[in-house]
Amino acid sequence: MAADILRVEKLSKSFSGRLVIDNLSFRVAEGELSAIIGPNGAGKTTLFNLITGYHVPDSGKIIFNGQNIAGLQPFKTVRLGLARAFQRTNIFPKMTVLENVVSACITRQERNLNFRTPYKKLTQIHQRAYEILDSVGLTAMAQRLSGTLAHGNQKLLDIAVALALEPRLLLLDEPTAGMSPDERWQTVALVKDLWERLKVTMVFIEHDMDIVFGISQKIRVLCYGNLLAEGTPKEISNNLKVIEVYLGEKPMMDEAC
Amino acid sequence: MSIEYFVFMTINGLSQGMLLFIIASGLSLVFGVLRVINFAHGSLYMIGAFLAFSISSLVSGGSLFNFLLLLLVVPPAIAILGFILEISLFRRVYRQEHLLQLLLTYALVLILDDLVRIVWGGNPRNVPRPEILAGSVDIFGLALPTYNVFIMFMGPVIALGLWWLLHRTRAGNLIRAAVTFPDTLGALGVNVSWVMTSTFMLGCWLAGLGGVLMAALANIDLGIGMEKIIESFAVVVIGGLGSIGGALLGSLIIGLGVTFFQLPLGRWALVFPYVIMALVLIWRPWGFFGKPER
Amino acid sequence: MLNIKLNPETNIYEPETKTRHRVATALLIVVFFILPFVLAHLGRTGVYWIWVTTEIIIMSLFAMSLNLILGFGGMVSFGHAAFFGVGAYTVALLMKKAAAPLLLALAAAPLMAAVAAVIIGWFCVRLTGLYFSILTLAFSQLLYMVAFQWYTFTGGDDGLHGVPRPDFLSPTNFYLFCLVIFLICVWLMRMLVNSSFGLTIRTIRENMDRAKFIGVNVRFYQWLNFIIAGAFAGLAGGLFAQLNRFAQTEFLHWSRSAEPILASLVGGMYSLMGPTVGSAFLMCLRIVLQQAHKGLVEYWAIILGLILLVMVLFAPGGLIGLVQKIIKKKNG
Repeated sequence: MAADILRVEKLSKSFSGRLVIDNLSFRVAEGELSAIIGPNGAGKTTLFNLITGYHVPDSGKIIFNGQNIAGLQPFKTVRLGLARAFQRTNIFPKMTVLENVVSACITRQERNLNFRTPYKKLTQIHQRAYEILDSVGLTAMAQRLSGTLAHGNQKLLDIAVALALEPRLLLLDEPTAGMSPDERWQTVALVKDLWERLKVTMVFIEHDMDIVFGISQKIRVLCYGNLLAEGTPKEISNNLKVIEVYLGEKPMMDEAC
Repeated sequence: MSIEYFVFMTINGLSQGMLLFIIASGLSLVFGVLRVINFAHGSLYMIGAFLAFSISSLVSGGSLFNFLLLLLVVPPAIAILGFILEISLFRRVYRQEHLLQLLLTYALVLILDDLVRIVWGGNPRNVPRPEILAGSVDIFGLALPTYNVFIMFMGPVIALGLWWLLHRTRAGNLIRAAVTFPDTLGALGVNVSWVMTSTFMLGCWLAGLGGVLMAALANIDLGIGMEKIIESFAVVVIGGLGSIGGALLGSLIIGLGVTFFQLPLGRWALVFPYVIMALVLIWRPWGFFGKPER
Repeated sequence: MLNIKLNPETNIYEPETKTRHRVATALLIVVFFILPFVLAHLGRTGVYWIWVTTEIIIMSLFAMSLNLILGFGGMVSFGHAAFFGVGAYTVALLMKKAAAPLLLALAAAPLMAAVAAVIIGWFCVRLTGLYFSILTLAFSQLLYMVAFQWYTFTGGDDGLHGVPRPDFLSPTNFYLFCLVIFLICVWLMRMLVNSSFGLTIRTIRENMDRAKFIGVNVRFYQWLNFIIAGAFAGLAGGLFAQLNRFAQTEFLHWSRSAEPILASLVGGMYSLMGPTVGSAFLMCLRIVLQQAHKGLVEYWAIILGLILLVMVLFAPGGLIGLVQKIIKKKNG
């Protein structure tokens, strides 16, 4: 049994009186590829925002790699080895694809305070950036302004930027959102391939059940900020509670949960 | 410090604060609905003050009738100026970057302030107070300037009026809805741009009113616009942008603070708004009544 | 990055052809070095034009310093005059009251401005967008008031006149002196903008939230950038005090802060030299207006305001952007 890389303990967060995350606890084992599912408003993205320090939790602990990171600012969580890709593409639109990744590499290597060397002459960093672009298949577009890429490629770039941070835990918020069915499966295959090759722990949020059950080792079902169920795809698909309230009759989904 | 002096200073500070509230509430209201901070709000206030001076020298004399005339004519005139500015300029930048919105209102400051200089010149001016407000009133055996007491009561009247307008009328409901759900409001068939225009006009009306009241309170010159806009910024920063209640609180803090610090600090008391603004911005950037943005 | 040109068909970024660029730059620099000697032959008008060009150089430096935070950093400061003024007063006070040598005074100017920026910036970078702009304006007004009230130290409203100038600094020599300093500053800023630090600053401008999520300590880098920009502005202010041989409260006034903003906007915020073009344009415009009609300069603030208004509404990309737009329309 691998050690836990992330332990969430009794985490709570409310926004203007509404409890979004409610006394949530779970553990993520090192090297795991797991999914978080749940209906809209279950608190999935909020959970990511709490883990990465974008929001400060009201109470509870987030133990990452043995250290409580609850309330730590995003740039600090990133330095500890957490990275995320976003639901809505979140890149640097007026910079080239390459510059997007290079800037992440520079920060990873803490070279931001280099005032002298032109960043274009940091060959080692550029090699690294090209490697990463290659791994997501964007090398051909390296010199294009990232804002001009198609939506699917922007999402891939978002992932590439996260990879450039060499994270130990990568959080992917709906990596296939807004993609065509073909693109979706390509992206999913890519994610799985990256996971296998880089040995990075991944947690992703996804709405497409075929994808979720197709690739994840473990699934967590979030509902009103609570953990409804947790287990392997098989366990989840046999879990009566989940079937009843989530996978059952679709129209019931929101009320039942 | 004697009791009399304390009361005197309090009245003075409250009247300063209330005048500031009338101006700052307009700034805050406009920001709440339009999400644009109007740097030119101080310039509009200054135009109001100088316009009051011109009209008052035309009709010559400090009768109550003339003063009421100023109160009736000048604020709507500034509102109409606001109407023109809103439909010709502001409307074009609502969906633009923040930077361009800021620069647009900044450009207006450059233009309007210089227009005032060209039209009215740099000499200090003032408007005579109507006789009924010119003297002093006896409160607790103290002779207090009637006009300051008058302004002190104008503040709460305006605050109540705004509260009534925003919470008890249909127009106010629309304005408040526009603050919270601008998109939904549009989808419901409400003419949102009309709501924005009228809010802007209301804000300008308040600036104009502040100008008239100021012109009879003290000398007006070319610096008053910039002075009041920065004080107003301090007010809305303290109270929270978009909050009328916050503007009231902020105005009182600034008005009383500047007045009371005058004793130990002399003219350096004018530094007070900046210091308190910096402190509030660090401790609670969204102000007492505002909400954090993220 | 200085000259992002996109091939309209492929949307591919094409770097400027380097050698051509370099030759043109070198030629331009040579022209600027020869210019005062040509002008010196024209008698009094020549001296006047040397003075004008010197002012353009200094104001360009001021505008470029602002553009480090405005164009590259995306922070709209309405109080950049604070650092210009601090630099000017530093030179004036040191040279007049302490009889300090010119070079020492000019070295102290950016240093004092940087100290001011350390303090002011520490407060300001805690805020973003609107609030940042308000606070910068407030701080510059604060300094303005301090200079205004502190009569014994700053001379209050009268300012400090009669700043001594070393004998060897004839108008021509002073021009060359400023030009050399300007070129060194451009070289430094260019290095800065092209460095890893520059790229980091750009990520913050482009997408502040994402910058945090690639591990950038946003506040710290904004603060650093603010201080650097302040130091360059202080140097410009110091030179300006030496050019005019006085420092006055007007140097700290909020309307002073408008000039570099305008120059950046007119010349183009997203390039290093854009503000220089803008400064030169504005200065020349001012002189043309002066020649056309003496009274027109009376309306200078209005004219600046109108230009700003037109730029904001119709050409936020600056003059260069506007020209590109027109060419595009003609071709397409």
